[in-house]
Amino acid sequence: MFARVSQFAAALAVATALVTPAAAKDKLVINSYGGAYEQIHRKLVIEPFMKKYDVDVQVVTAYSADALAQLRAQKASPQFDVIHFSGGQEVVAAREGLISPVKAEELPNAKDLYPFATEGLSRGEGPVHAVAAIGLLYNKDKAPKKPARWADLWDPAYKDHIVLTDLSNSYGLLGFLMMNKVKGGDIKNPEPGFTAVKDLLDSAVVVSTSPEMQQNFAQNDAWVAPYAQDYAYTLRKAGLPIEFVQGAEGTPAVYLTANLVANRPNHDLAKKFIDFSLSAEVQEGWARELRYSPTNKATKLDDTLAKEVVYGEQAVSGLIRFDPVEVDAARASLVERWKKLIAR
Amino acid sequence: MRDRIEDIALAGPGILLLALAFVLPLVEMLRLSIVGADGGVTAEHFVRFLSDPYYLGVVWRTIYLSLLITIICAAVGFPLAYVMARVSPQMRLWLIVLIILPLMTSVVVRTFGWMVVLGRGGLIPFSLWKLGFVGRNFTLMHTEAAIVIGMVQVLLPFTALSILGVVMKIDRRLEEAARTMGASFLATLRSVVLPLAMPGILAGSLLAFTLSVSSFVTPSLLGGVRLPVVASSIYDAATKTLEWNFAAAQSVILLIGVLLALTPYIRLSGRRHG
Repeated sequence: MFARVSQFAAALAVATALVTPAAAKDKLVINSYGGAYEQIHRKLVIEPFMKKYDVDVQVVTAYSADALAQLRAQKASPQFDVIHFSGGQEVVAAREGLISPVKAEELPNAKDLYPFATEGLSRGEGPVHAVAAIGLLYNKDKAPKKPARWADLWDPAYKDHIVLTDLSNSYGLLGFLMMNKVKGGDIKNPEPGFTAVKDLLDSAVVVSTSPEMQQNFAQNDAWVAPYAQDYAYTLRKAGLPIEFVQGAEGTPAVYLTANLVANRPNHDLAKKFIDFSLSAEVQEGWARELRYSPTNKATKLDDTLAKEVVYGEQAVSGLIRFDPVEVDAARASLVERWKKLIAR
Repeated sequence: MRDRIEDIALAGPGILLLALAFVLPLVEMLRLSIVGADGGVTAEHFVRFLSDPYYLGVVWRTIYLSLLITIICAAVGFPLAYVMARVSPQMRLWLIVLIILPLMTSVVVRTFGWMVVLGRGGLIPFSLWKLGFVGRNFTLMHTEAAIVIGMVQVLLPFTALSILGVVMKIDRRLEEAARTMGASFLATLRSVVLPLAMPGILAGSLLAFTLSVSSFVTPSLLGGVRLPVVASSIYDAATKTLEWNFAAAQSVILLIGVLLALTPYIRLSGRRHG
């Protein structure tokens, strides 16, 4: 009796499996980062893509580190088609064979991208679809002058009005690595950076989250802080007179990538999705909504917008990328040294 | 026999919940704290914590701030509890409501309130500046004073109510007798009420101390990243550098510290009730 029931159930299951694909639309599973980012992501990329190709896109909210952990856990049977990373995890994922290489020819928009955005393709990583630049945020009403270089952080004119960000924050980490670079160090030799930060500590406030940054500009009379360009826009929307300056020595940045997950059946559609993220219209949208810098040369921005992101050959040539693998390896020890340095 | 089954049936859900939500995580934490990078058993996390002046400094800050907070809570809580015990029942009810009312609001919300009051341009720094005591840029935020002020406000109800319970039971005639024998009010308070209220003060203080060594929200919001305490150090290790084993080892150390602080109290109260 029982055997017969299970036989019947199995037959039913097979029948359903045969019937369903014909009825259902093609489906992609992707990750997004939640919050305001995900809202804009849906509006700019996901929903238009679903309409254009008449497919379903399922969004799972997972930050980069979490997304990488999930990919690793699902190695035998991956559940994502396209995975987005912001912390350089694509380097690790490519090395571990979790994501598949994409050829530039397979992405029609790739020819319009800046070289840095497609550089990773040869290493099996996905293309960069947006950039969050790190530079100097300053209060244009209160600061005595506009900062121009990273070295200006040590200018006595800004004394007591500098805000530094904790290294546990990824923007803080990149800002620190840049200060270190300016002072002559590199990831393997953070000594110059720590020495230089030590000089700032007596006259600076250290915060660890974005809202604290906002609070310091709003209430604590902060003038200058190394932080991200998109956050300068968030502060302006909150009514604060904050401008973003690219430090003359270079602009470190967070590189947002879209990657093709290995061993999935839907590679063609997934590639279309990745390509869609690279289009000039979508990238214009990211710049307009959140002030992320485009990686597509063909992106047209109006003048105000162009001033508020890293835009054009010259500005883009200032972008710096610290090797994600080296950064990842050094992170824990850098954070601990930093904690010891800033503790009173 | 039947009673026992009923007892177990009644206590069952609670015990199950404790096992799942408390014992299990605790065992897992103990296990994590002694697992090394290679998966073997190791004491390296404990050695790392206990041999580093930075972490010992964090422990020291946690202990002396907690002691300070506890002493202030007891010093403020005792007179308050005494007054509450001696006023009319109606008045007492109002005072208790006043003390309990802040507990109805989340600690985070109250701490944000303190951030407004203590920050640059906030009520206290602004008044001090207007009175000419400090510069315009003066702020109490991110100082140990801010942590103490915020924590005392959070913990005072616990201390005051523990003391109140004991003071209420003190026979008023003892005080009257002391006064008739010529002792002044303060002398009565010192030599009659205070010794009799000691169990309550001890219990309240231990409560305040254990809560404050393990508190996280108030110190991290009011003290900031530059004044780490043990709880925020655990948080950093667990969520920021993802060193779970190290975080677990720190938690075990904190747990042992709290248990050590509680032992004399358990002994004392055990003797009294058992």
